[in-house]
Amino acid sequence: MAGELASPTASPRITRGSSRRVAAFRLLRRRLIQAVPLMLGVVVINFVLIQLAPGSFLELMTAENQVSDPATIALLRKTYGLDDPVWLQLLKYIWALMRFDFGFSYRQNIPVIDAISVHLPATLLLMISSITLALAVGIAAGVVASMKVRTFWDTLVSVVAMFFFAAPGFWLGIMLIVLFSVKLGWLPVGGMATIGGASSGFTAVLDILHHLLLPTLALGLFYAAIYTRVMRSSMLEVAQLDFVRTARAKGLSRNRVTISHVLRNALLPVVTILGVQMGTVLAGSVVIESVFSWPGVGSLLFDSVSSRNYPVVLGIMVLGSLVVIAANIAVDLVYMWLDPRIEIR
Amino acid sequence: MGNDRYRVTRRQFGVGVFGAGVVATSLAGVAPSRAQGSPKRGGTLVATWGGGEPQACYVPAGGGSSPTFSSSKLFERLGSRTMDGKFQGELAESWKPSADFKSYTIKIRKGVKFHDGKDMTTDDVVYSIGEIWKKYSAASALTDFSGVEAPDADTVVMTFSKPIPEFFFSSLLCGNVNYIVPKHVYAGSDPVTNPANNAPIGTGPWKFKEWVRGSHFEYVKNDAYWRKDMPYMDRLIIRYVRDPAGRAAAMEAGDIHIGVFNPVAPPDIKRLTGTGKFVATPKGYEESVWSTTLECNMRNPVFAKREVRQAMFHAVDRSFIAKTVYYGYARPGTSPIYSPNKEFFTSDTYKTGFDPKKAAALLDAAGFPKKADGKRFAVNLLAAGWFTENGKIGAYVKQALEDAGIAVNLSVPDRPTSIKRIYTDYDFDMAISNQANPSEPVPSTTQYFTTDGIKKGVPFRNANGYSNPEVDALVEKIKVETDSAKRKELVFQFEKIITVEAPLLPLVELESITVASTKVQNHSNDPNYLAASWYDIWLAS
Repeated sequence: MAGELASPTASPRITRGSSRRVAAFRLLRRRLIQAVPLMLGVVVINFVLIQLAPGSFLELMTAENQVSDPATIALLRKTYGLDDPVWLQLLKYIWALMRFDFGFSYRQNIPVIDAISVHLPATLLLMISSITLALAVGIAAGVVASMKVRTFWDTLVSVVAMFFFAAPGFWLGIMLIVLFSVKLGWLPVGGMATIGGASSGFTAVLDILHHLLLPTLALGLFYAAIYTRVMRSSMLEVAQLDFVRTARAKGLSRNRVTISHVLRNALLPVVTILGVQMGTVLAGSVVIESVFSWPGVGSLLFDSVSSRNYPVVLGIMVLGSLVVIAANIAVDLVYMWLDPRIEIR
Repeated sequence: MGNDRYRVTRRQFGVGVFGAGVVATSLAGVAPSRAQGSPKRGGTLVATWGGGEPQACYVPAGGGSSPTFSSSKLFERLGSRTMDGKFQGELAESWKPSADFKSYTIKIRKGVKFHDGKDMTTDDVVYSIGEIWKKYSAASALTDFSGVEAPDADTVVMTFSKPIPEFFFSSLLCGNVNYIVPKHVYAGSDPVTNPANNAPIGTGPWKFKEWVRGSHFEYVKNDAYWRKDMPYMDRLIIRYVRDPAGRAAAMEAGDIHIGVFNPVAPPDIKRLTGTGKFVATPKGYEESVWSTTLECNMRNPVFAKREVRQAMFHAVDRSFIAKTVYYGYARPGTSPIYSPNKEFFTSDTYKTGFDPKKAAALLDAAGFPKKADGKRFAVNLLAAGWFTENGKIGAYVKQALEDAGIAVNLSVPDRPTSIKRIYTDYDFDMAISNQANPSEPVPSTTQYFTTDGIKKGVPFRNANGYSNPEVDALVEKIKVETDSAKRKELVFQFEKIITVEAPLLPLVELESITVASTKVQNHSNDPNYLAASWYDIWLAS
């Protein structure tokens, strides 16, 4: 993971050309192997945590369906495997997972993978757009602040960043809706697409982007604020290093020094944070999806936790972990690309 | 009761009926739907409700308000009730009892087709009653059901082992999800897991088109609907917005036209109606009145004493709860039968109004005087966390009881935990919960008080353990009394006993609210509007 990077100043192992590709392959292989016990841990911990929660989906189901016959309840318990000891239920679940069987959502009467796959693309889209926005805004604002340090612009960037860092996502979302949807009428209040609108083609893409803008702002600006602060301090730190001083002494322009020498090296902490934060972005989407009626896994997870729909909760946890692991591997590869001197151990 | 009383007059809920029924409401700036001129045809209506997406579009046993809302636009019942409390036929043209009230003959409407083009026949009715109602949607009400048969192509006869009152039977035909489902779709399958539950085929004014999970249902006009030239609109969208503030914003932006069952927070109701673009009305919930209840667990010896139970209610100011927690959209409860129930409510009951001195005197008399530390005894108070208001009421009740010298340990668990602790583990001394009751008290109301309502692990029954042979015998009489005046008297007796015994009483009766754009016409014109078919709704220009 990004957190395990070898320090570039501590005897880095230089890799070049094809050897870098080999190193990248080795990294990928190592991370995939490490992912197996990680996933197992995710499954076991989540399974146990869910078992510890009082109440069960069966009790909710009987409540909603007014099932009063004890024999029927006993039959349902047996049907759903709830009479098995917890360890046996866990082993059965892991065995099913190994066959890519995520189980069945009895509440929705569909396989878990179907329930999740309907919602997952929306969440991935929101995550990717939010991270992209956060990186673009955060890096740009951080660079501007570092180049105009201790000026009005630096102060302005810091104040705005602190505002978005402090503003709760749900509040920011509602404020954006009030301003851009209710007052100005520019953007839709919620949903992912216009009901009854085009379902394919360029018009449909534009429609989705139109709906995506506000949730992306609500989720992404918080992370943009973090990246701004990290980027600013990283830029200032790198700007003090010898190789930057050398570049300046060579007579390179200020912009070239900043972009070609300082920026690339200053990105490393931002990329590190990005990898660590993929999980929290996924968690943050639960709230934002609720505010904007965004049909992602966040809403599904909320409903599933509320209804003790264990198979779906576990399925989302497992798939969410896979997404985070994949994102972290990608971050490691980016890290290698940004700093060719090092090989991730 | 003869055929005439229940004979259907098509479009009984037409423009004129409800327009004439518009009355001033108790809410400032609030008025129910008013039909303006001739109905406009075509267009799309977008609706929402104050809850989340259902687990399935149709749940044979009900499954809660959300699937009832989504399925009731697609399926229909044999009967329904009008705003003035009368019964009328829907898929039944009429029904009448036999001389001994042990059987009922139902005349089925002719010319009704399912959405797949197949005729609705008595086979469908017999299947629905025998396989769906008896086993799922009306299992607790059909305890004395003997059988159902179709002697001819237009008639269905339901038989019972005991006399069945007409009001009970008529209410059964109007039951929330007592639908007529297509036998050719459900026979031979498990109705609970039938895939058609997620794309139902009914006889209703709207046909299922699409379910975009996490977003909305899209229904289109049923061109072959049996009510001629209905529905007025081309499309009905049921959209799900989890956050009440998001619903308010969507309504304000014009994305949603109508929201039922408290779609927005109380302060937003006044804000939206203040714009002049929206109306809010408590009409349309008369057959599904919600309450917030307080019940005492009789398994705790302290609450075995009636005086203690009465004292709990005297110590709590229900008006304060109505005004503060519900912003005035509630009224103090007085009886297990709620005040909008025109048939069975009586105000002639024991009054457990706010009276701290009386509460203290009752507790003293029951043998629980204040000790040196100022406390009489301690209780665990559970406020069911499925509604946020319950937690707020719990905080107030805790303070009120502590003022009376009772130490209170308050917990507000989430929905599954609340259900488990109240109905399976009986792990509470006092519980704040909720009920939604129709006019017919058997069994929906009575099962909270009868001994046969004590069923461990079965939610929304008698969890407090109250068992009184006098009440049990009275309810048995109510079940079989076919003289409506005598039956009403028996229910009044039931109310009197329960208010004196006070094992469970409503703290407040809730005023559910519908918020709609002023463009929406013919809404809130059914006493159970969330579960109505909305065949006559239309949108003005």
